[in-house]
Amino acid sequence: MRKTNYVGRGLLLLVIAGVAGYGIGLGIDLLISNTLNFSGSVPSAFALLLAVTAFFFGLYGYRGITRGLTWQILGTVLGALFVTGVRALMGSSKIFGAFLFSEPAWVFGALVGVISFLFGVGVVDDWMKWARGIDTPEHHEDEPGWEKYFYVSLDHKVIGIQYTVTALVLIAVGGLFALIFRTELAASQLQFLTTTFRLFNQTGPQLYNTLMSLHGIIMIISILLGISGIMNYVVPMIIGAQDMAFPRLNAFAYWLAVPASVLMLMSLILGGFDTGWTGYPPLSSRAPLGMQMFFLGVFTAGWSSILGSLNVIATVVRMRAKGMSAMRLPIFVWASISTSIIALTATQLIGLSFQLVMFQRLFGMGFFDAAKGGNPVLFQHLFWFYSHPAVYVFVLPGLGVISELLPVFVRKPLFGYRWIAMSSLAIALVGFTVWAHHMFTSGMNEYLRVPFMYSTLLVAVPTGVKFFSWVATLWQGKIQTPTPMLFVLGAIIVFLLGGLTGPPNAAISLDLHLHDTYFIVGHFHDTIFGGFVFPFFAAIYYWYPKATGRRMSEFWGKVHFWMMTPSFLVLTLGMMRVGLLGMRRRIVDYDPALGLDFSHFVMTIAAFLIGLSVLIFFINFFRSLKHGEPATGNIWNSRSPEWQVPSPMPVHNYAVPFEVVGEPYDYGLPGSKYVEFASADKVSHSHS
Amino acid sequence: MTHTQEKSSMLGQGVFIFVYLAVLTGLEFFVAISFGSVPLLVVVALIKAAMVVYYYMHIYKLNLEQEGDEHSYEYKSGTNRLGLWLFLVSDSFVFGGLMVMRINLLGLTRPDLNQLLGLAVTSILLISSFFMNRGETLMHNGDRRGFLLNTAITFVLGLGFLLGVVLLEWRLAIHEGLTPDSGPAGAAFFMMTGMHAFHVFTGLILLAVIMANGRRGLYDEKNYPVEAAAVYWHFVDVVWIFFYPALYLIGTLA
Amino acid sequence: MRHFLIVGILVVVAAILTYVGLDSANLMPVAASAQAVPIDEMWNLELIFMSFFFALIVVPLAYSLIVFRRKKGDTSDAEHMEGNTKLEIAWTVLPLFIVIAFAYVGAVNLAETRRVDPDAIIVKVTGIQWSWKFEYPPYGVVSDELHLPVDKQVLLQMTSTDVIHSFWVPEFRVKQDLVPGRITELRITPTLEGDYKVRCAELCGTSHAFMEKPVVISSQGDFDEWMAEQVKLAEQAAATPGGRGQALVAANGCAACHSINGAQGIGPTWSGLFGHEVLLTDGTPVSADEAYIAESIKAPQAKTVAGFEGQLMPSYGFTDEQIADIVAYIKTLR
Ligand code: HEA
Ligand code: HEA
Ligand code: CUA
Ligand SMILES: [Cu+2]
Repeated sequence: MRKTNYVGRGLLLLVIAGVAGYGIGLGIDLLISNTLNFSGSVPSAFALLLAVTAFFFGLYGYRGITRGLTWQILGTVLGALFVTGVRALMGSSKIFGAFLFSEPAWVFGALVGVISFLFGVGVVDDWMKWARGIDTPEHHEDEPGWEKYFYVSLDHKVIGIQYTVTALVLIAVGGLFALIFRTELAASQLQFLTTTFRLFNQTGPQLYNTLMSLHGIIMIISILLGISGIMNYVVPMIIGAQDMAFPRLNAFAYWLAVPASVLMLMSLILGGFDTGWTGYPPLSSRAPLGMQMFFLGVFTAGWSSILGSLNVIATVVRMRAKGMSAMRLPIFVWASISTSIIALTATQLIGLSFQLVMFQRLFGMGFFDAAKGGNPVLFQHLFWFYSHPAVYVFVLPGLGVISELLPVFVRKPLFGYRWIAMSSLAIALVGFTVWAHHMFTSGMNEYLRVPFMYSTLLVAVPTGVKFFSWVATLWQGKIQTPTPMLFVLGAIIVFLLGGLTGPPNAAISLDLHLHDTYFIVGHFHDTIFGGFVFPFFAAIYYWYPKATGRRMSEFWGKVHFWMMTPSFLVLTLGMMRVGLLGMRRRIVDYDPALGLDFSHFVMTIAAFLIGLSVLIFFINFFRSLKHGEPATGNIWNSRSPEWQVPSPMPVHNYAVPFEVVGEPYDYGLPGSKYVEFASADKVSHSHS
Repeated sequence: MTHTQEKSSMLGQGVFIFVYLAVLTGLEFFVAISFGSVPLLVVVALIKAAMVVYYYMHIYKLNLEQEGDEHSYEYKSGTNRLGLWLFLVSDSFVFGGLMVMRINLLGLTRPDLNQLLGLAVTSILLISSFFMNRGETLMHNGDRRGFLLNTAITFVLGLGFLLGVVLLEWRLAIHEGLTPDSGPAGAAFFMMTGMHAFHVFTGLILLAVIMANGRRGLYDEKNYPVEAAAVYWHFVDVVWIFFYPALYLIGTLA
Repeated sequence: MRHFLIVGILVVVAAILTYVGLDSANLMPVAASAQAVPIDEMWNLELIFMSFFFALIVVPLAYSLIVFRRKKGDTSDAEHMEGNTKLEIAWTVLPLFIVIAFAYVGAVNLAETRRVDPDAIIVKVTGIQWSWKFEYPPYGVVSDELHLPVDKQVLLQMTSTDVIHSFWVPEFRVKQDLVPGRITELRITPTLEGDYKVRCAELCGTSHAFMEKPVVISSQGDFDEWMAEQVKLAEQAAATPGGRGQALVAANGCAACHSINGAQGIGPTWSGLFGHEVLLTDGTPVSADEAYIAESIKAPQAKTVAGFEGQLMPSYGFTDEQIADIVAYIKTLR
């Protein structure tokens, strides 16, 4: 393969197309609204779409993701033009809207765009063939090298990495948004997001709301993709399957996430939205067009999550290695199952609640419109019925990673395996019964609040079991602390802080003070970082060698950890403090009289340090691909099957299947084995 | 029992179940117009749903032990079956959510709809389920022509239901002033029937696909796709088993 | 055994230190209402639990890290220890009892904050993007400030004309959303005279951050004085159209967007607006006469002034007389 600088070529095209797109946009805008609006939305929209597409074109040529994005753009424009045409024919008064197209046109166009993407990128090709009665091979072989990550691959390991990298990119984007609005918050009064400031048809305060809301949802989507990444990569490998149960569905679920991310960025440009990630009506039924893009984006990402979890459950139920009984499953699999049960079912409700608001906006259906006999609080019930269980979707896999890695680095069995396994299920199931603890002040039925306080506090019990068992696992072990273990320990402490600040919110009377303050913001950044971000980094440092055959720099890993953890604690403990003292959530500016300027300044510094540490991680991540120290063996000296074969993992995982002959975590039990690989001749028939 | 007996008994079973369902639907309607007891309506709906889920969607097949290793067609079909059911579980949460929305917004009142038309489309969908079950059983028994015939009938009936709801029922409702933006009743009605109609539509596409491929004899021995389409079709029917009383029968006129 | 003893002691010490530290960091604003008392008690109880369980997990963890660190060159595994069912049951059941007891206390505590005083003053509260409107029924006074006598329970009957807002005075602790289409209630008994601020706690759009208005708690005497003053002003204002307009403007919080001193705002300023040319988004100039201003109030989206694209002003459903009054008031702002 001849050496050309693909990235360079991509970036060059990115700039050119960006400028060109901006120009085209300006032109069209001028034609329609005969004003030359440089900070307007249309030019930026064109610039963004063309630039991204051009980048991948330069990187990769016109195939895979490039084709998908191109089709998405065309689909969007054609769909929008179609609706516009129909409206014109029907002699509707408003053919065009503030953002070139009218709102219905944009919504329909965006929908067509998503579908076009899926066809363009080619995830549905095989299904289309099947529908026409044409059979296709079970697997498609990928080309070697990096190209395969940019087109539809059916290999669960490739898809896992696609998920993970996408999640990292989204964390970077969402994080950058956070850094931007943290800068505005560094001091009271409006610094740069002023009322005279204009960008994407938004004033400073509006842009703050948009960035804050997008920060929330983009980060949440990045979590969903991140956990899918780990589950996709790890689960089939550790249960001895060749792939997921439904490889095509698996690819489909991943590729849904890409147009979803594009929609999220579109929402920033098309007027933004000022509702936070919770999108409560009536506010969301009045918000700018960006709202609809946000709804569609979440809707698409939600389906990605639903189909992904469906796949995980089916895979675990049907494709386990011989002898892998329920109580001999790797603990991470238990976590994945619990998470998937929630994602499979509850996610539909956020989709529905957003769909109802979309229709309220498009067709005036008054579900949540008090003036039309609707009920605004109903939305909150539907929304939180997903969005509370969702928070356990975020953390359960992370907690699974903690339980999975601890024994390896403590050289001691996982203490109370069954209890930890069951506690994951318990958290998932109890998690379904607590949603209204987000609505204590919403004006819902006064007396219903108390039972929700009970159920909410109940979750503390199984979570506690995990903590105590982890401590007992560490107790009298032989503890090593390479980078993955550092992040595991960080995760335990940070998640403990987050968890312990949960019950105060659950105590109704106290929540009347805490609700919608930075105390809550602190609470969930702790839970999310402890339950997802730290374990996610741990998992990446831990399984990176399995995927690449090289390990990430230990030194820069430790720098990352020791830079991120303290500044993160400063950030969130600071959040809780200012929250208690009267700092409301989701405000672009705060009353100087509160005397919180200094705290906020410190928090902003901390935020930038976290950002820097993540940047270091990114550099380490990409640099180690080429320059990382080779690590093909069982470098962590783990009992788990994937480490019994050389890294990087071969395409169809194990050349010979293995059989489970012992307990997963019997470290320190002489002569014990977890898995035993069948000798080649015994299996030649069953292996294809 | 011998193989032939079993085959015919499967068909016979289909008939019996259909009769039960038809009677229950009649009862439902009668209860509603005479003394509209909500608990009774709920019970009837649950019984109907249970029968469809067990006999027509044969949920029990989920815990059949597939013989053959994990590369055999049987085993793979078993996996697909699990996948489909998981999908249906997920999907039923959408309809559950719509039901919650309806109960919260309308309580024990209902929109003023054309009762006869409602009963008509409901019966049509029910009958279509009967033929779907017949078609599937026949394909299972290797009778391709019978399969095609019955599936075709199912398709026609399904189309009839779709048009009946979208063209007739919606038209009438709008004519009566029950528009999507008229208030909670209109919103709930159009949202619920709309979402259901969308599922019927996708079901029709699946039926078209299995008919086309069935004609080419693709399913003569490997016939899981037929089962899948059938199960999905019955699921759409089950949803309507709950939506019909929820929209037409329960409570007093708004 | 030795290990357990040391850790046990350390846990207790750490727990106490954490608690004392948190307690002396005075994390709560001053308590200025009767409702704040039980809530602060609850908070204190939480602090105790948090400190204890934090120590209970972190101390053994840190201890293990130091004491059970793997020695250099040691490649052996640790002693094999599967688990201990008795322990697991213990640390399942104990927290279970704790949380149940805790929830019970929480319920009692909640009841405390909802004590009803039959002869509480009633104030009608309306949330508007982005201002507050307080009506004092017995006096027929409408103001955008909340004035209350100390040590008397007030019953706030709240609603919203547009989106969800939330009534929160940090010093009073309690918080309640204002939901369009329904009336929510909140009972507060101010116990400390002083000037506070009601801060809207539910994201309600562009100027959510600035939806703050003064709350003044004073002695009964001062309160009556202020009230009398307000009644007088209201009467004077009612005499002239401009005065009535000014009252409407104040009560509906128009100033949240429209300055009357030429300052930049969410909406165009009113100072020197009347009778002058304004440029619309499509570039056409119009002169701001009665008709134009009236239209802009009735149908805000009909004509948009250049530079204010995407700013959606709600239409307030004023009567024509009211609009005439407001126009008359704007006229006075030369
Ligand atoms: C990401 C994951 C995550 C997790 C795991 C949790 C865990 C918990 N959360 Fe959190 N929460 C969020 C994410 C999360 N939360 C988010 C994102 C929001 C804000 C949403 C928004 O408005 O934007 C939120 C908001 C939120 C609220 C609403 C606050 C408000 O808006 O007014 C409440 C109220 O009850 C709450 C409670 C809890 C509780 C009780 C737990 C429990 O599960 C915690 C259990 C753990 C422990 C208790 C610690 C370990 C246990 C022991 C050591 C045993 C002994 C302990 C005891 C006996 C107490 N959370
Ligand atoms: C995964 C979840 C997640 C994560 C990781 C974060 C991370 C951060 N969050 Fe986030 N936050 C949320 C989820 C998350 N947040 C949610 C759900 C909300 C609620 C939103 C709502 O109210 O609706 C919220 C709200 C929220 C607020 C409240 C806003 C408000 O109410 O007005 C604040 C304020 O400080 C904040 C700050 C931060 C900061 C400083 C970080 C820092 O950790 C960020 C650190 C920076 C990075 C991680 C970026 C690093 C990357 C680079 C520097 C560039 C590198 C680029 C390349 C390599 C291409 N967040
Ligand atoms: Cu009103 Cu925020
Ligand atoms: Cu929650």
